[in-house]
Formats: sequence, structure tokens, C-alpha cells
Amino acid sequence: MNLKHRLLKKPWPYWVGGVVLGLLNIFLLFTTGSAWKITTSFLYLGAGLLNKLGININDWYYFKTYGTKLNVGETYFSNSLMIMAIAMILGSLASALFVSEFGIKKIKNKKQLTFALLGGIMMGYGTRLSFGCNVGAYFSAIPSFSLHGWIFGIFMFVGAWIGSKILFKYIL
Amino acid sequence: MTEHRLDCMFEACPIPLLKAHKKLQTMKIGEILIMQTDHNCSIINVVEWAKKQGHYIDYIELGEGQWEIYIEKAK
Repeated sequence: MNLKHRLLKKPWPYWVGGVVLGLLNIFLLFTTGSAWKITTSFLYLGAGLLNKLGININDWYYFKTYGTKLNVGETYFSNSLMIMAIAMILGSLASALFVSEFGIKKIKNKKQLTFALLGGIMMGYGTRLSFGCNVGAYFSAIPSFSLHGWIFGIFMFVGAWIGSKILFKYIL
Repeated sequence: MTEHRLDCMFEACPIPLLKAHKKLQTMKIGEILIMQTDHNCSIINVVEWAKKQGHYIDYIELGEGQWEIYIEKAK
């Protein structure tokens, strides 16, 4: 097995991924002043699109209460989180192309589509209630000494446990 | 030897593992489960899990980014 195969083809052990992600997050905090988060970029994308359609989202309770958290000079479509999101997609694309594993995933059936959409909506709604996903509200929150990261973590495991029980018993 | 096929194409974690777990419960010792997947996590987590459970397991890459996993129920 050559080096390229070992490095790129075989999935890395979880602990290696953890160490790399930790180091990259430190680097990101050092260079951008903000720890890694993902779902807020979806918020910006959605908000930007609705804005373009002429819907004044700035009146919405969420934005009125919590603001957009955009830095000066940033817009919904042009901000550091959006660049990060695009970079993540390009990075994944590159790593799939390196080992010729790129492929368009098909939708298997209506059931998969329905549950994926339902799950996506629930996750999206949840991230706004908790101000982040398992990256922003957990992975980046705990090293920032934020108590809410631990609370998020506990309930994430409770949710995952309940979710997998439901999945196993009723959906599969 | 009885073979069972499990189509896990286009499915992401943890669906393939849970499907395998459910299927193995209905199988007899010595029977073979063949899983088709295009999810590269499966060739790690399904393989590790099956080994831990004490089953015999092997996999091959059929095409690029597509695998077949073979599990023989051992207990």
C-alpha cells in the first residue's frame, strides 16, 4: 500500500481527524477572530435569497432580537462564513476527486427524500434555537469555555440516542 | 450457503450499519450478508462493528467509490 493510498484513500482514524480539526480551529480563530461554525452560513444564504426576493427579513423577530452578527462591510452573500462554506465544499470535492470517488448521489426513493427533508428542516430550526450545530454550539463552544457547549453536548447525545431508537424501530 | 443481499446504495451513516444490525438479527449462523454501499464511512464503521460483534467480515471495492461488504454471521 503506497503513501498516497494510505493518506487519501483510507478514511483516517477518528482521533487523527479530531486532532487535525482541533488544530485547524485554533488556526481559524487566530486568523479570523472567530471559531468554526457552519449553520450560520445557511442562515445568511437563506436570508440573502429572501432579501433578493424583496422580503424584509430585518423585521423578523430573530434578526431584530439577535442581529445578523455580520461584520462591518460584510453582506449576506459575501462574508467569512460563506467563504468557509464554499471552501469546505471545494475541499470535499478535491478529496473525492483525488481518489476518483466523485459521484452524484441519487435519491433512493420517496421515503428517503421525505425523511431527509423533514430532518433537514428540524435540524435547521434546531440550530437557530441553540445558535449552532454540533460544530458551532459544541465543537467550538467547549474549547471556548462556554457552558452552553456542555449543555448542547449532553442533549445532543440524548437526542441521538432517541433518534437512533426511532430510526431502528420504525423507519428502517 | 444462504446469501442475503442488502442494498445500501445512496445511504449515509448510520443507516447501513443499522440495516446490517437489523438484518443479522434475522439470519442464522453461517449465513452470508452482502451489502452494497457507496458510502466510504461504511467500510470503516460497519467493518469495525462487525469485527467487534465477532462476525467474519471482508470487503472489496467494486468500482471507484463503490464497495461490497461481506459478513458471515458467526454467532
